[in-house]
Amino acid sequence: MLYRTAGQFKTSYKKDQALFPVRQDATLLALILGLAWIVFPFMASEFAFQTLLIPVLVYSLAALGLNILTGFAGQLSLGTGAFMGVGAYACYKMITIFPEMNLIVAVLLSGFFSSIVGVAFGLPSLRIKGFYLAIATLAAQFFLVWMFEKVGWLYNYSNTGAIQVPNIDMFGVAVAGPLASSVTKYYFVLFIVTVVTVVMINLTRGTQGRIWKATRDMDIAAELIGINLLKSKLTAFAVSSYVVGVSGALFVFLWRGAAEPNLFDISLSFRVLFIAIIGGLGSIMGNFLGAILIVALPVVLNILPELFGIEIASATVEHLNIMIIGSLIIFFLIIEPHGLARLWALIREKLIIWPFPH
Amino acid sequence: MNKFVKIAAATAIAMSGATAVMAQDEGLYIPNLSYRTGPFASTGIPLMNGQRDYVAMLNARDGGLNGVHLEFDECETGYSTEKGVECYEATKDQAIVTQPWSTGITLQVLPRTNVDEIPILAPGYGFSAMGDGSVFQWGFNMPSSYWDGASMILNEISGGDLSSLAGQKIAFLHLDHPYGKEPLPFLEAMAEANGFELLPIPVGLSEMQNQASQWLQIRRERPDYVVMWGWGAMNAGAISEAVKTGYPMDQFVGVWWSGHDADLAAVGADGTGYRSISWSAPQPDAPVMAAVREHVFEAGNSLASEEELNSVFYQRGLVISMILTEGIAAAQDHFGSATIDAAQLRWGLENVNITDERLAELGMSGMVAPFATSCSDHTGHSGGWMLRWDGDSFEVDSDHLSPDSETIRALEVSAAAEYAAANAPWPTASCE
Amino acid sequence: MEFLSKIFVDPFVDMVAYPDFFLQVLWEGLVSGILYSLIALGFVLIFRSSRIFNFAQGIMVVFAALTLVGLHEMGVPAWVSVALTLVVMFGLAFTIERVVLRPLVGQPDIILFMATIGITLFLIGFGELIFGGETKVMITEQLGIPTGRMRLDVFDGYISLEEKDLTAVAAAGTLVVGLLIFLNKTRMGRAIRALGDDHQAALSVGISLQTIWVLVWFVAGIIALVTGIAWGARANVSFALEIIAYKALPVLMLGGLESISGAIIGGLAIGLLEKLFELYWGQPLLGGNTETWFAYVLALIVLLFRPQGLFGEKIIERV
Repeated sequence: MLYRTAGQFKTSYKKDQALFPVRQDATLLALILGLAWIVFPFMASEFAFQTLLIPVLVYSLAALGLNILTGFAGQLSLGTGAFMGVGAYACYKMITIFPEMNLIVAVLLSGFFSSIVGVAFGLPSLRIKGFYLAIATLAAQFFLVWMFEKVGWLYNYSNTGAIQVPNIDMFGVAVAGPLASSVTKYYFVLFIVTVVTVVMINLTRGTQGRIWKATRDMDIAAELIGINLLKSKLTAFAVSSYVVGVSGALFVFLWRGAAEPNLFDISLSFRVLFIAIIGGLGSIMGNFLGAILIVALPVVLNILPELFGIEIASATVEHLNIMIIGSLIIFFLIIEPHGLARLWALIREKLIIWPFPH
Repeated sequence: MNKFVKIAAATAIAMSGATAVMAQDEGLYIPNLSYRTGPFASTGIPLMNGQRDYVAMLNARDGGLNGVHLEFDECETGYSTEKGVECYEATKDQAIVTQPWSTGITLQVLPRTNVDEIPILAPGYGFSAMGDGSVFQWGFNMPSSYWDGASMILNEISGGDLSSLAGQKIAFLHLDHPYGKEPLPFLEAMAEANGFELLPIPVGLSEMQNQASQWLQIRRERPDYVVMWGWGAMNAGAISEAVKTGYPMDQFVGVWWSGHDADLAAVGADGTGYRSISWSAPQPDAPVMAAVREHVFEAGNSLASEEELNSVFYQRGLVISMILTEGIAAAQDHFGSATIDAAQLRWGLENVNITDERLAELGMSGMVAPFATSCSDHTGHSGGWMLRWDGDSFEVDSDHLSPDSETIRALEVSAAAEYAAANAPWPTASCE
Repeated sequence: MEFLSKIFVDPFVDMVAYPDFFLQVLWEGLVSGILYSLIALGFVLIFRSSRIFNFAQGIMVVFAALTLVGLHEMGVPAWVSVALTLVVMFGLAFTIERVVLRPLVGQPDIILFMATIGITLFLIGFGELIFGGETKVMITEQLGIPTGRMRLDVFDGYISLEEKDLTAVAAAGTLVVGLLIFLNKTRMGRAIRALGDDHQAALSVGISLQTIWVLVWFVAGIIALVTGIAWGARANVSFALEIIAYKALPVLMLGGLESISGAIIGGLAIGLLEKLFELYWGQPLLGGNTETWFAYVLALIVLLFRPQGLFGEKIIERV
C-alpha cells in the first residue's frame, strides 16, 4: 500500500536506471534527511549528540570508505584504523602549521594524505590476493600506529605524545575544540558526510563503480574484458583511503577532541569492518544502518538495566554487553550474511507487492 | 521484527535524554569511571573496591557526609577512551566530580571541563602540569604528580644528592602510551642538569606480557638503575623478566602504579628488594580499616576479598575517596550547605588541608602524607615513601621523601602555559 | 658512510663481540617463536578442514588457561582440572559447530571470519563474567613444571635458561609430533587431511563434515590449552594475552595458510628474526618497539615474492 508502484511508468532506459526508480524511495530519503537536518538537532540532548549522532555519522563515513575497497572492489582491508589516523594527523599538522586554514578545506585535504599512504600499501594487491592481502593492510596498521608513537613531529613534540584539537573558528563560529557546541559539530559532520556520500553514490553507479565490481567478481575475467587491474585496484585504494582519511579527521576534530596513537589501533579497524559487514558489503546505505546498530547498541544496552530499574554492577553490564554484541554479530551473519541493507531490500520488495503477494 | 521495535524504542528514549533516569533526587552524585575489565583490570579492581568501600563506610557509619548521602556510582570504561567519554557525557549532568582514571580519558575530558564546569579529580595520575591551578582550574591531581614521583625516586637512589648520579646510567622502562611518557620531560631535564645518562625503553601495549627484548636490552646496556612506569599486565611481565635476567632487585624502582601486591605475588621471594615509590602506605591496623571491616566488609557489602584489604592498592583507593570527601567537606563548610554543586566542589578541592591531626581524626594516620592545595597549587606535593617488597608484602622502607618542588614548579608552569597556548583561547585564573 | 656502517657493520660486530648475548637473543627468539607456532597450528588445522580463518584462537588460549586456573582455585586438583578443562574445550567446540558454523556453511570466507570475531567477543565477555578480570597466576608448580633456572657459562659470559621455557619447548615438540602422528596414522586424522585436500571428494567417500569440524575445533582447543599453560607460566594469565592472536596472523601468512610445517617454520622464523631485528637494529636505530610491526612487514615482503606464503598451495586461477 505504502509502497505501491502502480502508475509509475518508465518510458525510457534512462528512467529505469534512475537513482530513485520508485517515487516512495525518494520520499523516504527526504524524510530521513529532514530528520537528520532539522528534527534531531532540536530534539537531541548533549549526551545523544556525543554518543549517538556524531559517532554514527563518523563511523558511517569510515565504513563507507572501507566498503568502496572491500565491498565494491573486493580487496580486504584490516588497516582502516591506521588510515583514519593518517587523516587525523594530517589534519592536525595542517591546522597547527596554518592556523588560519578553513577547517572544511583542511578536513577535505587531509583525505589526500591518507590516499597517498593507502595507494602505497595497496600496491601489493596486484600480486597478493584474498586473506593474504590482509597482511599488507595489517602491516600498514601496525607500522603506522608505531610511527604515530615515534615521530615527534607528528604530535608537535607534546609531552604526552597525544594530539589535542585547538579551538577553531569558522566565520566567527567555533566549530571545533572545547568551545564549540555539539550542534555546530553535528552540522559540520553532517554536511561533510552528506557531500561525500552523494559523490560516492554517483561514483559507484558510474563507470568506475562498474569497473570495481568487475574486479571484485573476478579479476582475471575483468582483465580479459579490457579492464586495467592496476588502475582499478589502485583507484579503489585511493578513493577508499581518501574517504577513510576524511572520516579520521572528523573522528578526532569534531568528535573526540584529542587522540593518542593507540586510539587508531586494530580494534578500531575491526569496529569499522563490523559496521561494513553487518550493514552490507557493496551497499552505501548499509554503512549507515550498520553504524546505527554497532554504535547505538552498547549505549542502549547500558541504559536498559536502569530503565527497568534492575541493579547490576557496571562491570557486569559491560561483560554482558560484550557477550550480547558478539552474539548479535553471529545472529545477524546467520539470518542475513549480506547485511542489513539486504534485509531492507527484502522488506521493501515485500512492501511493494503487499497486500497481494502473488 | 519485535526486537527492532524494542531497540528503536530504547534508542528513541536514549535520544530524548534518558540520562534523566540517572537523576539523583537526594544526595551527592559522585561517579567513578571504573575499569574492572580489560587488560588493566588487575590494577583497577582493588583501587575501585577501596574507593567504593570508603564511601560505603561513610554512608553506613555516619549516614553520609555532614548528613547528606553520598551517591557513589561506577561507569565501566574498560580503560577505553571511547567508553570513558561516553561515561563522562552520561554522568556529567548530575555529577559534581569526574574521576576519569586513565590518562587517555583525562586528555579528552580536560578541555571540556572548562565549558561544562565539572572538576576532574585524578589523584596521582593525569597530567603533571595540572598542578598549575591557575591554568587547569578544574583539574586536580593531588597529592602527588608523576614528576613528583620521578623526583622522589631520583632523590632516593642518589641518597639525596643528585650530582652523585653523574656518569651513571638510568634505564626508564615505560609503557609506550601518554601515561608512560609523562615523566620523560622531567627525567630528561634532570639527566641534563646532573650528568647522568637516561635510557628510555618503551614497552608497546601489545608487548606488555612479552618483554624479553626490553630486558635483553637492559642486560646489554647494564644500567645502574631501572625506573619503571608500568601499568596493568606490564608490571608482572617486567618483574618476572627482571628475575629471569638476574637484574639486581634493589636497583629496580617503580612508580606507585607498579607497586601492586598481586604483580609481585607471582614472583614471590624472587622479587625481594624491589621498591616502588608511593604517596600512600598501607596501614592494616589503622582505625579506618576497622571501620571499613565493621560497616562494609563484614556487612557483606564489599566486592573485595579478605587478602585484598591489606593490599597497597585497596588502601590507596580508600585514600583517594578520602581526598574527595575532604574536598566535599571543605566546600560544605565554606558554603554552609550540605548539598553542593560542581563549582562549589571545585572551591573545596582547592582548599583541601590534610594535616596530621586531621588524618588522626579520620583514622588514617600514616596512610598518606599531610598536604594542602591552593588556588595555584592543585597537586599539593605531599611527597611519599619507598615501599619495599619483602617477598610477601610491601613494607615502608624509607623516611618521608619530598620531591624537588622548585624544579617541578617551573616545569609545571611552562608546560601549562604551553598547553594553554596550544588551546587558545584558554581561560586562566589569577590566584591572588 | 657512518650511517651505512651502523646498519650493515655494527650489528654484526656486536654479535661476534658478545656471543653469549647473541645466543641468549636466539634462545629468547626460539621460545617465543615456538609459542607463535603453537597458536598458528591451531589456525592452520581449522583453516585446512573448513576454510575458516579462526580469529578466536587467541581468546581460546586465554579461555582455556583461565578455566584451568579457575577450576584449580575452586579446589579441584591440578591434573583433574586439566581433564575438566579439556571437557570444557570439547563442549566449546561442539557448541561452536552447532550454533555458529552449521548455519553458516557455504558462506563467503569473510563472513565466517567475522563470525569468529563474534565468537571472540562472546568469549571475552563470558570469561570475564565468570572468572573476573584479575590477573591469575598459572598453576605451574602444581602441574609439576619445574620453575628453576639454569646458568650456562659460555664465551666469557652466560646464558640464562628458564626451566619452564625448556618444558614449553619440549611440550610443544611433543604436541607437534603427536599431531603429525594423529594426522598421518589415524582414521580421524586422515579424514581431516582428506577434507583439507578436497572437500567434495571427502564428502563423497562418506566423511562426516560435522564430526570432523567438532574434532578439529577440539584439537585446536587442546593446542590452545597447551599454549595457555606455556605462555601463562611465562607471564601470568590475563586477557591481555589475547593479543598474541595478532602475532599468529603474520606467521600464517608467511608459512602459508594450509601448511602445518609452514606454521611451525613460520613461527620459529618470525620469533627469531623479530628478536634479532629489535635488539640489533630496532633499539639502536629506530627507537625500539619494532616488534609491534616487524612480523607483518616481513610477511608482506615474503608474500610479494611468493603470494601463497612459503609453503602454501600454489594458487591456480581459472576463468
